[in-house]
Amino acid sequence: MALLQRKNKIPLGIYIHVPFCRSKCQYCDFYSLTSKKECDFDGYLEAVCTHIREAGPQAPDHIVDTVYFGGGTPSFFGADGMAAILTAVRKSFDVSPTAEITFEANPDSVTDRLLRRLRSEGFNRVSLGIQCDNDDTLKQLGRPHTYEQAVQAVKKIRKHRFRNLSVDLMFGLPSQRLQDWEKTLRNVLRLKPEHISCYGLKVEEGTPLYDCQEFYNLADDDTQADMYLLAVRLLKSFGYRQYEISNFCRKGHVSRHNLKYWTGGEYLGFGPDASSDFGGCRFAIVRDLRAYIEGISTGGTVLREYQEVAPRERAGEYLMMRLRTSSGIDPQSYEKQHLLPFAPLEKAMQAFKERGWAEKTYDGRWHLTPEGFLVSNTIISDLLLIQERTKPLGKR
Amino acid sequence: MTELSKIRNFSIIAHIDHGKSTLADRLLEECNAIDRREMEDQILDSMDLERERGITIKARAVQLNYHADDGETYALNLIDTPGHVDFNYEVSRSLAACEGAVLVVDASQGVEAQTLANTFLATDAGLEVLPVINKIDLPAARPQEVKAEIEDIICIPAEDAPEISAKNGINIHSVLEMVVRDVPAPKGDRNAPLQALIFDSQYDSYRGVIVYVRVKEGTVKAGMDIKMMATGAVYKVVEVGTMNPLGLTPTDALGAGEVGYITASIKNVADTRVGDTVTTVENPAAEALPGYRQVQPMVYSGVYPADGAKYQDLREALEKLKLNDASMSYELESSIALGFGFRCGFLGLLHMEIIQERLEREYNLDLITTAPNVVYRITKNNGEVMMVDNPLDYPDPMEIQLAEEPFVKVSLMAPQEYVGNIMDLATSRRGEFKDMVYLDANRVELHYEMPLNEIIYDFFDALKSRTRGYGSLDYELIGYRPSRLVKLDILLNGDIVDALSFILFADNAYPRARKICEKLKENIPRAQFEIPVQAAIGGKIIARETIKALRKDVLAKCYGGDITRKKKLLEKQKEGKKRMRTFGTVAVPSEAFMAVLKLDED
Repeated sequence: MALLQRKNKIPLGIYIHVPFCRSKCQYCDFYSLTSKKECDFDGYLEAVCTHIREAGPQAPDHIVDTVYFGGGTPSFFGADGMAAILTAVRKSFDVSPTAEITFEANPDSVTDRLLRRLRSEGFNRVSLGIQCDNDDTLKQLGRPHTYEQAVQAVKKIRKHRFRNLSVDLMFGLPSQRLQDWEKTLRNVLRLKPEHISCYGLKVEEGTPLYDCQEFYNLADDDTQADMYLLAVRLLKSFGYRQYEISNFCRKGHVSRHNLKYWTGGEYLGFGPDASSDFGGCRFAIVRDLRAYIEGISTGGTVLREYQEVAPRERAGEYLMMRLRTSSGIDPQSYEKQHLLPFAPLEKAMQAFKERGWAEKTYDGRWHLTPEGFLVSNTIISDLLLIQERTKPLGKR
Repeated sequence: MTELSKIRNFSIIAHIDHGKSTLADRLLEECNAIDRREMEDQILDSMDLERERGITIKARAVQLNYHADDGETYALNLIDTPGHVDFNYEVSRSLAACEGAVLVVDASQGVEAQTLANTFLATDAGLEVLPVINKIDLPAARPQEVKAEIEDIICIPAEDAPEISAKNGINIHSVLEMVVRDVPAPKGDRNAPLQALIFDSQYDSYRGVIVYVRVKEGTVKAGMDIKMMATGAVYKVVEVGTMNPLGLTPTDALGAGEVGYITASIKNVADTRVGDTVTTVENPAAEALPGYRQVQPMVYSGVYPADGAKYQDLREALEKLKLNDASMSYELESSIALGFGFRCGFLGLLHMEIIQERLEREYNLDLITTAPNVVYRITKNNGEVMMVDNPLDYPDPMEIQLAEEPFVKVSLMAPQEYVGNIMDLATSRRGEFKDMVYLDANRVELHYEMPLNEIIYDFFDALKSRTRGYGSLDYELIGYRPSRLVKLDILLNGDIVDALSFILFADNAYPRARKICEKLKENIPRAQFEIPVQAAIGGKIIARETIKALRKDVLAKCYGGDITRKKKLLEKQKEGKKRMRTFGTVAVPSEAFMAVLKLDED
């Protein structure tokens, strides 16, 4: 009976932002704190749990099928805190027994105790930040671990029966050559992760890297493009399917949580700087732990952004997000969902196809090729411009 | 009508930033011309742009009723004038409407190039020049030295010049007393045939053109038939009156010596040119007042809507602006690259910037402007003489017998330690040194003759940066001189982009061509194919850069579902594409055009 009821429920993802790190990486522009004074673990834990309890009743018709602890470094925050938060989630929301429950970890804070505890709490997926296999580069980037520590961390994770392991890698790092990147990939492939994310280094404003980028020997766009295409080819030959611009997995191991972002699923975010898309609205929480704690404890607002998404905007998001995935866009459901004609877009996609940037499947769907993914901003902004100039489909 | 002996007509002249408009504000306050609550800074500069930049663009006149220490009430007509060299003619006409000028000199900066230039304009117009030392409350103020400077350099007595602070309202009263005491009362016969000098006009959508005049002889009343002596246009006067700080006050008549306005259902400001004389049809004056000339634009540039569909909007905006600014000219121009737009003529670079900014702001237009150029005089082999204000009209070199470009006499003033820097700058801009005068132990004035083309881009900025802001500049046109000119074309992917072509001095062609190619390479986004950027004279390529094909333009991570940020980025990119123009197969953002204009910045 319970199962039947659940069938009609709307799937929901839950994201917990854990804004603490041992040290700040040079390139990172996510919200996280490192100093002892700022790292108010207790205040954070209480605020997040309260926040979750308050939000629960808003989602009576939802079933949580993914929970994701990102950061920051959740493993640095520790097993007890994460367990407490997950318990709060289970108490306040209907969490599916088959839910994908992920936590992010850095090799230096993965301990047997942490893994044992989290596995027993029901966590079933680990996303491990390895980034590269060169200790000098790791040090230069401000990563608090060596490659050997990463290898040991994978062993421990396997020992504690986590059967779904994802690793994060980066290319375009200081002094990294194409062959160095290939070596990183080949080394990491030996660890046999179920899932690999490959991100090109992007120098973000406001990061330490931004200020001294000229002192690093960073790869230019062309080299980054070559590295990306190398990864796509190599991972494919090892049986990894590319299902999104930066994400590759063995059969059946897509990140169900991340896929929600690309496919228009609903998700609720908790913790400072977390984003949500829920009930037709997008909102984001303040990028400030103290303001978050304060807001939650006094019942004030903790949002820095809140907007209802107009249907027309959803149509734009459809293109923006779906084209990041390998399954791409479907003209029929596009027209049906957004009541806009696909024909002008079809024409543009044809042109992209001729440049080798897009492909059409036998059933009429369009998706980008790896070369197309590389220039996806150009493609998507072109499509958005065309879309903006189309008139809604008239009623037949 | 006010008795002649109770009228004082004066203007305030100064070098830029010496406090002209601030003093005007204080004078208004001192005469209780406006309520405190209606007071705002630079009240006579009613355009936002004027306030923001702290400059006066349009002349403005206002009448103040001042109860002087002698117990009498005087009508003081203050005519505020623009301060920039671009508007020298307007300034000269405003001055011709006065009997005196208050010369504001900054107590720390002292005499500067435009202090001199404006004083000469005033003395040429026969005005009594009354110095005032401003900003005496600044720590760096040196009023005694500045007074001596004024006496030495400008040769006018300055010993008794009031020492004031316009900003803090110190000693303002003494300025007004000085005006009453030292500015001569106007003369004139109110029964003589009418001669009224137009010093400004402004379009009002209800009344038509409002003509600002100084009546020199005779009287003007509502109902009279008047004639503009230069344009010959005839109108019936609807209303006359005087200008208050906050509006117009109708009066029965304006007589000789008075400053006021005339409305006569005039549709077009072009009929009421600054400097023209208004007389009556019935009893016309024998001759017009001296000094009138038709202003000629000195600098031309193509103005195009960034979005080609906005062409009509741009046309309407230009029509409206033209109603208020007879010195700007525009005519239809079409470019293969940019589609339909306008060739606009301006008095100078500041004037051009102002018009562009007003178009963008007041009419909400996005513009692409092409490189400004001066008017060249070309004599063809068949004897035909052409005035070329547009590179597109530049004839084939084979047909040219003589090419000439306009030259100006430039005076540059700065502390003597910068003489070397100024000389380097002037020489690099083809300046021909004339002479150098020590104004005092420390300050030097240099005179050069150089092509106008060399100063229209960024000469003023370059001068400022080479003299730590102390240098000042004034110039006047001295005529055309033969020159070696070439037309430089820019090719993208093998096609000439006509909107990027321009005319320049032959020796400058190579370095400039290289710089332009570099700038375009930086500013044109990579496309899916390689784009050669070339510069050519005639058929000969003299510079080349290559924009490599686009391979990477992607946002890797979308963390924690923060889609809004990503969306904004893509939206921005999409909006940017609207501002691109496609030339053949190459999309060029409007920023690229801007970059080409600002070649000398680095």
